[in-house]
Amino acid sequence: MLHTPVQLVAVIHHKLACQPPLNRTRRRRRRRSRCDIIHSMATFSFTRCLVRSYFCVKCVDHVQTRLQTTASRSTQFTDTEVQDILTKITGLDLKKVFQPIRQQLTPPKYKLMTDTELEEAVRKAEEQAKHLLKMPPVLPERKPVNDVLSEDQMLEGMGTAKYVFTDINFNVPHRERFIVVREPSGTLRKATWNERDRIIQVYFPKEGRKITPPPIFKEENLRVVFEQDRHEDVLNQCVVQFEPDSAEFKNVLMLTYEDIEKHGKYDLLRSTRFFGGLAWHLVNGRRIDGLLVDMLQSDLMQDAVRLVRLFNLVHPQSESAQHAQRQQATDLDLLKIYAQYESNRAGFIELAVQTYEQTKALSSF
Amino acid sequence: MAASLQRIGIVICRTFPVILQRNIQAQRIRDWKTSAPVLRLNFRALSSSSSSSSSADDTDSTEVLSRYSDRPWEYLESEEYIERYGSKPVWSNYRRNHKGGVPPQKTRKTCIRGDKICGNPCPICRDPNIIVHYKNVNLLQQFISPQTGIVHDPIRTGVCMKQQKLLNKAIETARDCGLLFAQLPHVDYSKEDYSNTHGAVAPTPAPFSLSSGELWYPWYGSIKPDERELARVKRIYKDYLKPDV
Repeated sequence: MLHTPVQLVAVIHHKLACQPPLNRTRRRRRRRSRCDIIHSMATFSFTRCLVRSYFCVKCVDHVQTRLQTTASRSTQFTDTEVQDILTKITGLDLKKVFQPIRQQLTPPKYKLMTDTELEEAVRKAEEQAKHLLKMPPVLPERKPVNDVLSEDQMLEGMGTAKYVFTDINFNVPHRERFIVVREPSGTLRKATWNERDRIIQVYFPKEGRKITPPPIFKEENLRVVFEQDRHEDVLNQCVVQFEPDSAEFKNVLMLTYEDIEKHGKYDLLRSTRFFGGLAWHLVNGRRIDGLLVDMLQSDLMQDAVRLVRLFNLVHPQSESAQHAQRQQATDLDLLKIYAQYESNRAGFIELAVQTYEQTKALSSF
Repeated sequence: MAASLQRIGIVICRTFPVILQRNIQAQRIRDWKTSAPVLRLNFRALSSSSSSSSSADDTDSTEVLSRYSDRPWEYLESEEYIERYGSKPVWSNYRRNHKGGVPPQKTRKTCIRGDKICGNPCPICRDPNIIVHYKNVNLLQQFISPQTGIVHDPIRTGVCMKQQKLLNKAIETARDCGLLFAQLPHVDYSKEDYSNTHGAVAPTPAPFSLSSGELWYPWYGSIKPDERELARVKRIYKDYLKPDV
């Protein structure tokens, strides 16, 4: 992967080098040489851009192929069908999404609108809400960085402090920024993920993020906040503070989801950007009974069906998935099959399905 | 007669200013010492009759520890607080004393210097049971606007600058611990690439090494030099070339 961009640069330079011979007059040669310099600089930056984009494309391709190989074995969070189901389950309550936030207040603006304009405004609001409800990514945990670049014993004993050298170019993505640490023992190593996060926060501070994680993420404080039913605030803090592939992020999310599932407070996260993550966590842990029951109690039949379909997608080897595959079941039959084979609360689910069918039959008359 | 008396007075004023100042200061301190303990005794009489015995012991000494110093949030549920403030914030009935219509844009630096308390202390300093602590969420909420989430200016509430700094610190700690609501920005995940394949965060790839026969640039072998140019260069550097070239 390294030598291909170098080859590209070399080829283009060679092509530039094979130009028609220079005119012999002095003035023209000087002008030509200046032009040449500018031309070569432009081409160099162009090739650098090309190389960069080629490199990134190569990276993305590489990642894509890796994802595809795993996708063939199991469903991933990023699959279109999974994302579609999760967005539909999350719902779209405009009143909750556009709750007034605490900010500097301005006087309200009143507009007189026709019906069509009102519909247009509602449509725009729904688009904005969809953008706000984008789920934080579920990524595998990042591998630790243990790379030693050089060992210089002669620098041992020079001081007692570590020196951190950071690349603070502005146009470099944070994940491609080189941060190295010179230990007092003389080893030059790449900085660990925690060190990287701290140093990047020092030089490129993000709004709301602290350099050291705030004490809200400790067990006792989390317990207090969960008792006050403020899970969404905790999750917002977590999303702002940590990177999505870090261990602390996953830990806090896991604790929040566990607490919600224990007390059945699914409604707190409904119509927020975290509901998809909650549903995915429960489906992976094969514990969707509580959520299903909650959906059935709130008369969200379609959502319950979608949840069971997601379960079958993620666990195609489970009994309910196999039976559903065999019978080509749809809608309420999926629920019945799931209740029969996988669920712990089979009675309640079947009862709920029956009552729904009866009410539908009655209303159709 | 009057003129000479005036002159004597002026001379006295000029020659003994220090003595005069000292007298004035001493008078002020005597006033405070008589009035302030009365003030504090009044409060403690309001507070609880049970602890009046303990308060009677320390009338003249330095700052007495309030009985709520360990758990300051309990004071806000007690009877004396409700009787004194009701449901309004503690700063609602406080009025600063200043000349003119527009108050100075900074409140006083501190109400209590060592032993002495100033006249008309601020809403927090005048009640020794009100303690600014990060767990005292109900008190801190009184100093935050419920709509904007911004901490009230000390000009509005009347607190001294020292207490305002303590308030700011306590509010920040409470927001960090999750006891108070903190408005955070929306995080956008669409532009980041999480593949972690770049050399900065992944193990350094092995250095590129040439296998035998391979050239550094693939076009090394394919370009043929101009024959006449080659002959000319060879002729010029004939003395320096190896014999077999």
